[in-house]
Amino acid sequence: MRKTLLVIMLVSLFGVVAAAQTTLTIYADDTRTPILQAIGADFTAATGVAVEVIEFAYNDLRPNFITATQAEEGPDIVIASHDWVGELVANGLVEPMDLGARTADFSSSALEAFTTGNLLYGMPYGTENLTLIYNKEYVPQPPKTWDEVLAIMRALYDPDAPMYGLAFQNTASNFYQFFPFLSAAGGYIFGNDAEGNPDACDVGIANEGAIFGATLYQDMLNEGILPSSVDWDTLNALVAGKNVAMVITGPWLLNAIQDAGWDYGIARIPAIKGPGGAYFQPKVFMGVQGFMISSFSENKALAVDFLLNYIATTDVMAQIANAGNRVPTFIPAIGLASADLAAFSEQAAFGLPMPSIPEMSSIWQEGGNALDLINAGTDPAVALQQAYDLILTAVGCE
Amino acid sequence: MIGLGILDAIAIWAAVGLITSSQYGLLAVLVIGCGLLNGLVLSRRAYPIRYLAPSLIFLFGLVIYPICYTAYVSLTNLQTGNLLSKDRVIQLFEDRYYLPEDTTRFAYSAYLDEADAVILVLEDAVSGDRLMAEAGQIAPFDAEDPRITVDPADQSIEIAGYRRVEGLEIYQIVSRLETLVFPYADRFVRLSTVREFAVYEKQYAYDEATDTMTDLATGIGYAPIDGTFTSADGEELEPGFQVWVGLRHFASLFRNARIRRDFGRVFLWTVIWSVGSVLCSFSLGLGLALLLNDKKLRMRMLYRTLLIVPYVMPVFISALVWRGMFNENFGIINRLFKDWFGFAVEWLDNPMLARGTLIFINVWLSFPYMMLISLGALQSIPEQLYEAARVDGAGMFRRFWKVTLPLLMISLAPLLIGSFAFAFNNFTLIWLVTSGRPAVLGAATPAGATDILISWTYRIAFQGGAGNQYGFASAIAIVIFVLIATISAIGFRFTKRLEEVYK
Repeated sequence: MRKTLLVIMLVSLFGVVAAAQTTLTIYADDTRTPILQAIGADFTAATGVAVEVIEFAYNDLRPNFITATQAEEGPDIVIASHDWVGELVANGLVEPMDLGARTADFSSSALEAFTTGNLLYGMPYGTENLTLIYNKEYVPQPPKTWDEVLAIMRALYDPDAPMYGLAFQNTASNFYQFFPFLSAAGGYIFGNDAEGNPDACDVGIANEGAIFGATLYQDMLNEGILPSSVDWDTLNALVAGKNVAMVITGPWLLNAIQDAGWDYGIARIPAIKGPGGAYFQPKVFMGVQGFMISSFSENKALAVDFLLNYIATTDVMAQIANAGNRVPTFIPAIGLASADLAAFSEQAAFGLPMPSIPEMSSIWQEGGNALDLINAGTDPAVALQQAYDLILTAVGCE
Repeated sequence: MIGLGILDAIAIWAAVGLITSSQYGLLAVLVIGCGLLNGLVLSRRAYPIRYLAPSLIFLFGLVIYPICYTAYVSLTNLQTGNLLSKDRVIQLFEDRYYLPEDTTRFAYSAYLDEADAVILVLEDAVSGDRLMAEAGQIAPFDAEDPRITVDPADQSIEIAGYRRVEGLEIYQIVSRLETLVFPYADRFVRLSTVREFAVYEKQYAYDEATDTMTDLATGIGYAPIDGTFTSADGEELEPGFQVWVGLRHFASLFRNARIRRDFGRVFLWTVIWSVGSVLCSFSLGLGLALLLNDKKLRMRMLYRTLLIVPYVMPVFISALVWRGMFNENFGIINRLFKDWFGFAVEWLDNPMLARGTLIFINVWLSFPYMMLISLGALQSIPEQLYEAARVDGAGMFRRFWKVTLPLLMISLAPLLIGSFAFAFNNFTLIWLVTSGRPAVLGAATPAGATDILISWTYRIAFQGGAGNQYGFASAIAIVIFVLIATISAIGFRFTKRLEEVYK
């Protein structure tokens, strides 16, 4: 009896002592995990340092990284989106990076997105943005203006089939998809202060241009030609059943569109005729994805070595970007992206990097509520003004 | 006994972990807890408590500790931007170096002795000058040092008692080299890449006496204000750290006019939602139980099994299925409505209908539970009471009101109060079906038409403002806790009176 007890105690003590061996830990999402595991094996073969890739659903990456890192545990490297930078830096959880001579290999706008306070916090691998995808079966030529879009929507509209000319996610959680309408004629999220940093107290979601775009959107709903309460599942169902001719979406829907057998084309979101009769190009949010290094990593030099010499190569960067249908940001790999992804960068010329400051959470919240009210028939000017007021109070700018 | 051995082994393992991460508070709890437990098991007198101890431990670990921790957090400024401890944040700033433009880069070789002490020989990448770094000090390379032999052929260096780290082994020790910092003139030499050291400038210095952080490049001093190092002209350094703020969150909760304005509306709906859900599902469940309890009914087992189905389906699935079915344009329910009546109903988009729909879904999910507990309680009512009532000439309804219901209430009332408390905080269902929406025009906070207190809290604390406000959220959680505790206490007192009446 005594012996058993002693053995158990000793074994558990050894478990504690034996844990010291250099391992590079990476938190990654399911799409990127297999690629990183393969590259990690190369790194281990070349350096003798083990690489452990821990897989999370994309949406679980940030909360898990924050929880683990705050307890001074967690990974050395994490896959991240540029709009997390604000929160992670404010919390002191990520480490500035220096790409050195390799800086020139990356698209400068992508690096810009990962930069705050003149420090770079991530090595970008891909960008994503909304664009227009159309089914050539119904729409042989992509529309150039919103008037053409409306004509197509009216011609194809059949509520019983059902059949719609255009659809996009437009529930209260889809302020992201609603933003192109606000931005076309001059709406914006945060203005910039004198130093070029986002100014949380300068909010542009209720200006004249924003109200104009929101009214255009509401008119389509009122006419019935644009389906309301379309969430992710509904959009997928519409695409799979070919119940819609055009969608405004990001590269994440490409696989579903291919599976549904669409003969599809990718084009810019058509220009909207503004209040003065001039045409405005809707602007979309740009998201940039990349790798960040934890400020509590004890292997920062190894992590940078892994990123710069094993990930930042033309082959691997093309592979990582194509796997998730993201446009590469590594300049030598851009030529290797699929034609679809190249088409997405057409719209990217009219993209704004999504603000990364933590105050963005109040934009999602109140912007979403405004969209909800507009969907329910509230005057867009009233709904957007309420959102504007509530955002300023919530971020403390009264 | 073996169980105790395993437990102690785990405790020792945990203790080593706690010592290495200097969590001495938890360590004390662990030691005392384990000591008590060992005492209980090994002493004969404490025999009955031995079996009670595990549940007491769980009660403490899963109920009392979280409540205390929530109360503690509600008194701090824990939120996005103030997550780390002050020591840790000072450490982060102290560890911040930057490469000046006129830096010098060094190729290096590392040498280890038996005891793993390290000597570095640095070679200026441009001039070829050599330096030697040892024990925190850096010095020009001294070829006369008796320990050193330089091979005249290829200039390679041997150090007596040390071996040169060759090839891949550098990857195993590079994370150790990363922690080394050598003062060098006014600057510092640190590892810059796996193959290179370089000269760095230190960015911040912390002075403990004055409690200020100084930016060494600009000379600006930053003093801690509300958990953030702030300069005289208001510039803040990220990250901030956790500090005590006392009752500030509670004060802002009760003083904030915007929150007060929405509180009444949200609280009212929360009460209607929980009372409505419990009453409706209880009536339905009890009705079905009475039917199933009727011995004339055939295939009772089959019905009973079928009626339990909604209860055994995971709420994550059924809630999402219901949300899909109630979708205004594409849901099956509106398709039927369009076919039969020619119009669609805004089930989840109209505030009143959305509330009704939610209660309906909750009734569907919870009536089987009510049916099960009612069936059980019905069995326990003695048949003689009904006989007596029948003899007295009571009809069916009179028997139900005067015999069944009062007797049922004695055993079921506590369960109903429990259901009420559960519905009061049923974040999952609200969030999955409507997320608190539709939005309300004229709301002063992000409070939707179907937001209950807990989902409203979540929206204020985690989705509005700037990031996650754990401190504020904890303060609201404490207030909700007090509210429910009060309502439940009143409820239990009421049941007690019932019991006394029917004794």
